[in-house]
Amino acid sequence: MRSIRKRCEALVSIAAAGAAFAILLNGIGCQSSLPAPIPSQATPEDAPRRGGTLRIASLGEPRGFDPATAADGLSATIVNLLFDGLVDYDDHNRIIPVLAERWEVTDAGRTYRFFLREGVRFHDGEELTADDVKRSVERALHPTTPSSWASQFAAIDGFERYTEKNEPHLDGVVVEGRYVVSFRLAHPDAAFLAFLALYPTRPVCRSGGDRVSPSWHPCGAGPFRLPPDGWRRGQSVDVVRHDAYFRPGMPYLDGVRLLLLVNPTTQRFKFLEGELDFFRDLSASDATRFRNDPRWKALGDDEVDRTVTGEAMNVEMPPFDNVEVRRAVAAAIDREHYRLLKPPAISVADQPIPPAVPGHDSAIRGQRYDYAAALDHMRRAGYPYDLATGTGGYPHVIEYLAYDAGFPVFSAQILQQELAKIGLRIEIKLLSFPAFIALTHKRKRVPFSLGSWDQDYPDASDFLDTLFSSETIAQEQSPNTSFYRNEELDSLLKRAREEQDEPARLRMYKTASQIVCDEAPWAFTHYYHYYSMKQAYLRGYRPHPVRVMYMASTWLDRAGVRTAQRAAPLFRDALGSIFGSGR
Amino acid sequence: MIRALARRLAWALLVVWAVASVAFVLNNVIPGDPAQLIAGPQARAADVQRVRADLGLDRPLAVQYARYMTRLVHAGAWTFDSKADKAHATCAAFVPGLHVDLGRSYTLRQPVVKVLGDRIPRTLVLAVAAVALQLAFGVTAGVLAARRKNSFVDYFAVGGSLLGISAPTFLIGLFLQFVFAYKLHVLPKDGYGETFAEHAAGIVLPALTLGIFGAAYYTRLVRDEMIGLLGQDHVRTARAKGLGEGAVVMKHGLRNALVPLVTVVGLDLGALVGGAIVTESIFRWPGLGSLSVNALQNRDGPVILGTVIVTSTAIVASNLLVDALYAALDPRVRR
Repeated sequence: MRSIRKRCEALVSIAAAGAAFAILLNGIGCQSSLPAPIPSQATPEDAPRRGGTLRIASLGEPRGFDPATAADGLSATIVNLLFDGLVDYDDHNRIIPVLAERWEVTDAGRTYRFFLREGVRFHDGEELTADDVKRSVERALHPTTPSSWASQFAAIDGFERYTEKNEPHLDGVVVEGRYVVSFRLAHPDAAFLAFLALYPTRPVCRSGGDRVSPSWHPCGAGPFRLPPDGWRRGQSVDVVRHDAYFRPGMPYLDGVRLLLLVNPTTQRFKFLEGELDFFRDLSASDATRFRNDPRWKALGDDEVDRTVTGEAMNVEMPPFDNVEVRRAVAAAIDREHYRLLKPPAISVADQPIPPAVPGHDSAIRGQRYDYAAALDHMRRAGYPYDLATGTGGYPHVIEYLAYDAGFPVFSAQILQQELAKIGLRIEIKLLSFPAFIALTHKRKRVPFSLGSWDQDYPDASDFLDTLFSSETIAQEQSPNTSFYRNEELDSLLKRAREEQDEPARLRMYKTASQIVCDEAPWAFTHYYHYYSMKQAYLRGYRPHPVRVMYMASTWLDRAGVRTAQRAAPLFRDALGSIFGSGR
Repeated sequence: MIRALARRLAWALLVVWAVASVAFVLNNVIPGDPAQLIAGPQARAADVQRVRADLGLDRPLAVQYARYMTRLVHAGAWTFDSKADKAHATCAAFVPGLHVDLGRSYTLRQPVVKVLGDRIPRTLVLAVAAVALQLAFGVTAGVLAARRKNSFVDYFAVGGSLLGISAPTFLIGLFLQFVFAYKLHVLPKDGYGETFAEHAAGIVLPALTLGIFGAAYYTRLVRDEMIGLLGQDHVRTARAKGLGEGAVVMKHGLRNALVPLVTVVGLDLGALVGGAIVTESIFRWPGLGSLSVNALQNRDGPVILGTVIVTSTAIVASNLLVDALYAALDPRVRR
């Protein structure tokens, strides 16, 4: 009897705990629908307003804001706010003058002469002159500077002498007057302006000196400046308006606060409560929820496709030294299966250059799924496969490397299934990202791996030259991870780099893309882009084709705050009243 | 006594040195090039080489190891200007005449001693708060459950501890964040804050997350230990002598149950000083946990080694403390 009573007591306890949990969930309002967006105050036609601090967040931590050494995307977000360059990209991928008022190209594309705006002030109040431009370029390209970009500027006359023979100055950068500076190239480089539009060589204050120093406090001529205590490592970065910015009335914002190391769930909570004005690290499920909610849909933005992803086949290792096997792989992959893994962010790829980048051409014969053709390529390769009996195919198991993160794991499984249908068996090996990079960039080490390339600048050369030119092949740290080498392609890419006529240049890249699609060192699978959400009161924001989270021309037009956000956490208030607000 | 203490300390130093050396070797032999990661996976070989030279990774591994170990603790002035004195730019002086140099972080570009100096106090505070909550919840629930064995209180405590053990930390953390910060708005969602009040408010949820997780273990441990102890002969004798139940439980039950608990608490505290990786990440508590995760992802060798040295030192120190507490709790150990 006692035993039955005890069991009943146990059951009652469990039921009571369950009921309490359910009441708690109900009481706190566990529901799946999104709250309504916080409204803006003005109509869309209203003039921009000054004031307010924009709040954004990131999963990561930046490494530093010296443009000469910054290499990670998050640092670039802040660098772009602190430093302006001679030229930049506008919203439509066109290069426009910024600190330069205008420029001219002479000497058959060998000389770029820039006429600087007069009266541009650095954050420290000093005026920008041509000397600052030369000093900043020499500082960024100096051989002791740990720059990730320096070799991209190798076309500047005297680059080798400066970096290898330690000459005191870079001859190719010439000061021709207080406000005139020219860049003389050893050979024409049609992508030179594109490099200059990137951040590494942007002018820095004289306090930056001639050489990079880790203790330097970032100082430039951009729309925002970094206060002395602006970067609280592991916590936040605050930049404030540069009052002497050369564009009158700009920027509208008082400042921008970037919260660091915020996980996506917390970012969503903060965004929904108006503690963040912009939300970029959406999970796939969050992206779907926001897209499907009619109140939020108009506040979402699809950024441009910046990344091309595919399966990189090492042409120096069997079986991918056989072009027919590579073609079989390219034809065997049904890209639609990849797209379904993350539909809001992924579109099917058929060629190396993403659609928004000049050089993408929908008229070329891109790679596409064709199972019969894949089997035919396997037969021509000498590995015929009979699906009905499961006999034939390549006799050995091929090692395939990917890194251990959500998407690559799933896409590797799809690849494994697709290739099994043509008689190619792959063994998936998942590594940490550092190990994956180290091994796949090493020559004759990995036969087959995930390949991915994020756009540095919107130009076909960024994709084709780096991934498929033999010039980028190295024993280690080889960006060309398929180790593909084709003299015709090399020659074409070299001529395209020097071609000054843009339509003629694009025709060359079309031919180059066609070669890469036909020879298939990569099986291109998908393009990737971010989907971001903004608050209704964040105005003037449009996704930039090159810069990430670029907020220099935005303004805040906030009607009010949510009750929840207005009421600061009770516990903190209580403690504040007891202990005061001293640090 | 002094000789025994010196021997223990010497062993402790040897353990820390061995752990640091193994970490150094492992960090260098497993695939992954810090220079490539810092330059970015898209950088060209010539640019990666620049970064490698800047980090000092172009030297032979044995030279790097020898340099690290000889710089780790070396002679130096008590006061020095780290900005002007390049030879000691990444040093810190903890005792007169001795410098500690853990190198410069590859990614944060700050001296590692400074990075750790900022993070250790925050992690220590979180670890102490978490262990205090674990003890408060765990011991109370364990004693009550043992005293009222097979009652509603016992089932509730055992069921609750089962739930606490089973639920992953990240789930507990996200649930607490959702309830107390997002829905009820009584605590901040995350962050360290700038004022003392903000620090204090910010620590509640991460400490509670760790507290619930750890308390679940302590509840089971104390309950089972107490049930065994309260049924023993000396306890029956104490009761027969007319000793009050409270005194029986506290003096003859809990005190003896604390011996295994002290072992677990000591190890937990040492491990928590190494950083509560998941909890710190959820609540954006800038301690050693989030630092070490980022360092591992970026193969930031100096930071990895620095955190390994701190963690191993903390674990060794907590073990020494546990041994001392054993002696205090159990007279047989003193003999």
